[in-house]
Amino acid sequence: MATDFWASSHNKRWIVDRATLKQARAEDLQYVHSPDHIDLLNIYFANLIGMLGKKLSLRQRVIATATVFFRRFYVKNLYCETDPFIVIAACCYVAAKAEESPVHIKNVVSESRLMFSQEGYGVKNFPSDNSKLAEMEFYLVSDLECDLVVFHPYRTLLTLCGRESACALDTEAGEVGVGIDSGPRYWGTGEGRLELEEGPLQTAWFIINDTYRSEICLLYPPHMIAIAAIYLTLVLNDKTREAIQAQGAPVPPPRRSSRTTSGSAHRKSAPAQQQDFVGFMAGLRVSLPTVAMIAQEILSLYTLWGRYSDTPPESGLGGNGAGEHSGGDDVVTPAFLTQLLLRMREARLADLAHPASGQPVAVNKRLERTQAAG
Amino acid sequence: MVDDWSQVIPHDVMRIYRAKRDEAHRSVTSKYTILGFISSGTYGRVYKAQSKDEEGKLHAIKKFKPDKDGDIATYTGISQSAIREIALNREISHKNIVALKEVILEDKSIYMVFEYAEHDFLQVIHHYSQTLRSHIPHDLLKSLIYQLLNGLLYLHDSHILHRDLKPANILITATGIVKIGDLGLARLTYQPLQPLFAGDKVVVTIWYRSPELLMGSKHYHKAVDCWAVGCVMAELASLRPIFKGEEAKLDSKKNVPFQKDQLLKVIDVLGKPDERSWPGMRNTPEYHNVKRLEDSPNRLDAWCKQPVNFLSKLFIFDPDKRMNAREALLHGWFQEDPKPTYNVFQQQLSSPAQLPPQRRITQDEAPSMMPAQATHAQHLPAQFTQQQHLQGQTHGSVTSFASMSAGHGGHSRKKARIG
Ligand SMILES: Nc1ncnc2c1ncn2[C@@H]1O[C@H](COP(=O)(O)OP(=O)(O)OP(=O)(O)O)[C@@H](O)[C@H]1O
Ligand SMILES: [Mg+2]
Repeated sequence: MATDFWASSHNKRWIVDRATLKQARAEDLQYVHSPDHIDLLNIYFANLIGMLGKKLSLRQRVIATATVFFRRFYVKNLYCETDPFIVIAACCYVAAKAEESPVHIKNVVSESRLMFSQEGYGVKNFPSDNSKLAEMEFYLVSDLECDLVVFHPYRTLLTLCGRESACALDTEAGEVGVGIDSGPRYWGTGEGRLELEEGPLQTAWFIINDTYRSEICLLYPPHMIAIAAIYLTLVLNDKTREAIQAQGAPVPPPRRSSRTTSGSAHRKSAPAQQQDFVGFMAGLRVSLPTVAMIAQEILSLYTLWGRYSDTPPESGLGGNGAGEHSGGDDVVTPAFLTQLLLRMREARLADLAHPASGQPVAVNKRLERTQAAG
Repeated sequence: MVDDWSQVIPHDVMRIYRAKRDEAHRSVTSKYTILGFISSGTYGRVYKAQSKDEEGKLHAIKKFKPDKDGDIATYTGISQSAIREIALNREISHKNIVALKEVILEDKSIYMVFEYAEHDFLQVIHHYSQTLRSHIPHDLLKSLIYQLLNGLLYLHDSHILHRDLKPANILITATGIVKIGDLGLARLTYQPLQPLFAGDKVVVTIWYRSPELLMGSKHYHKAVDCWAVGCVMAELASLRPIFKGEEAKLDSKKNVPFQKDQLLKVIDVLGKPDERSWPGMRNTPEYHNVKRLEDSPNRLDAWCKQPVNFLSKLFIFDPDKRMNAREALLHGWFQEDPKPTYNVFQQQLSSPAQLPPQRRITQDEAPSMMPAQATHAQHLPAQFTQQQHLQGQTHGSVTSFASMSAGHGGHSRKKARIG
């Protein structure tokens, strides 16, 4: 099972098509001015999961699992009808257990409260009661259909790109656990392996981290995402890029985002011996058009991400500006996105109370009952 | 109306969500008729149930104990053990592993619905030792071990350690198929983020615990399950546990003590492990303690007459040299007549008295654990007849089955788990 992606719940139930994703966001889209805002929310929430994960000392793989849980939850639910902040906390809490590195519920609650209440985020009412988070966990696990084993691209990256460098990454980034065993491949028929230096390997690793900020992890199998990350690494790196062009292969325009430079900066001198990169890619026996498509999506993510800023600009678009802007190419901040979410929720609520049909929504009855009970 | 809603939002944004979810929920008792109570284990209670759909299949429903805050059940977080058992069961599928049909999260409790298994290894052992007072026939023993190893190989190939193999956790269906159950202590060993010992200080019920675990080894692997298979096999062959030691309990600081008594029991049958055949033992924490113990000649052949060679390979001290599941399945013993059979009870079908009795069920001693309608004992006899009819059962001993006496405590074998 652990090596058999094809038989996994991940492959059988949680690789969805674009139409499904579109459907899942259709109602949320009614409450925003620009579809980009939904994608920016996707970035925002993934960032929050990453930051909460760091506060809880979760490993990168646990954070990745938590993010996948979050994405899966919102295949079935609406941003405008739920509280993503408690869902984020529950995802981290369950992922830590699912990845066998549990954290105490008390810590998750207190770290979440501390983080979300910071001015930059402006989330005021995160519950202080453990049982609220535990209740959310219960519903979350149910919505996840109890599928808690998640595959990630990191494994493919390490399988493909050499053990020596993997060990270097292990100590440097502290991401890989003891007894690492890259194991057999579960895809393709190629035997190719690529010698990546530490710098490029880390770039690929960071690109994989970045993919979780979009819905790519729902659309493609992890090994394809890994290969796309390797491909991007090769074309972003000047030396390997020249080598590929020398081989006469097409290369997308270098749109290196500021985000990847942190990885690329580690680059040392490129490999002295010339490797057959094109041959390596072809030898993997996977759909190269799909790889190119994923690479393209990653590049679009970087473009969009350029508009996201953790620190509010001087002019102060954050705060109460949500909804007032037509959502062109403005820079958005976490505070703006929190406000946006609150407005979406308010608007949704108003619609539920006064539906266009004139008929109260069915859920109201039930809600009144639960209100009366609770 | 608007006012109502806006009051709801600041306090509990998730109410709409929960209301929708609760509305869509199909409850345990709307899908299953609870026939009776089977057993209460470390983590919860197991019930026999029948599906209300046309097929009317039998199931075992394992209900995890809800956490209590005083007398009121509250949400306190799903236990690591439940998360494990659920997560692993969702991924695996093999004819020698108990199949999980579904998981229902309801009313602060978790219900795992498994395919029903009529028997288990412990019950077979009791049946032969108490009722029939004879050895388990060689062909039955061989088929039981073969199918057990077949399921274990699947787990190990999937990088899963079971870590709690013992007769009570190895089930057999009415059609004679062995099903490994209870993955509550099982773990994925593929690229662990933490070493195995960091998660669970104590694994495997003491009688079935391998020497490397008893000696405090921090890095163990699949071989711990193979040792347990050896213990189970010896127990089937002799109808009593082969290494029946006393567990030394954790001290107040939760330090794991030296398991002297259990090791003495092992040495009593197999002799002392020595460094020449197991160089790694020098690196185990209890090495010096074991050195001080007295040696004893190997007398395994007195314990288990037939396939001594096979068994001795499962009892190799060095975990790296111990026979693994694949090697065991390829062992010559399984090529010899009698060959293992698809229905382990193949030879017993002609004389039904040889078959172990059906699983005893009782009225729940803690009826509050089950939704109200489930606990009406007077409904039971009717359901039995109906179910017997449905199943076309040919088994003889219905008497123990129909027994409604409460307090069937199961077995008293020690648990591997703490906390
Ligand atoms: N699928 C099944 N069919 C029939 N009986 C079952 C089934 N699963 C479990 N049981 C019965 O319930 C008992 C307890 O189940 P299980 O071992 O899964 O729970 P547990 O809480 O881990 O118990 P323990 O601590 O005793 O190991 C089993 O020993 C067996 O008698
Ligand atoms: Mg058990």
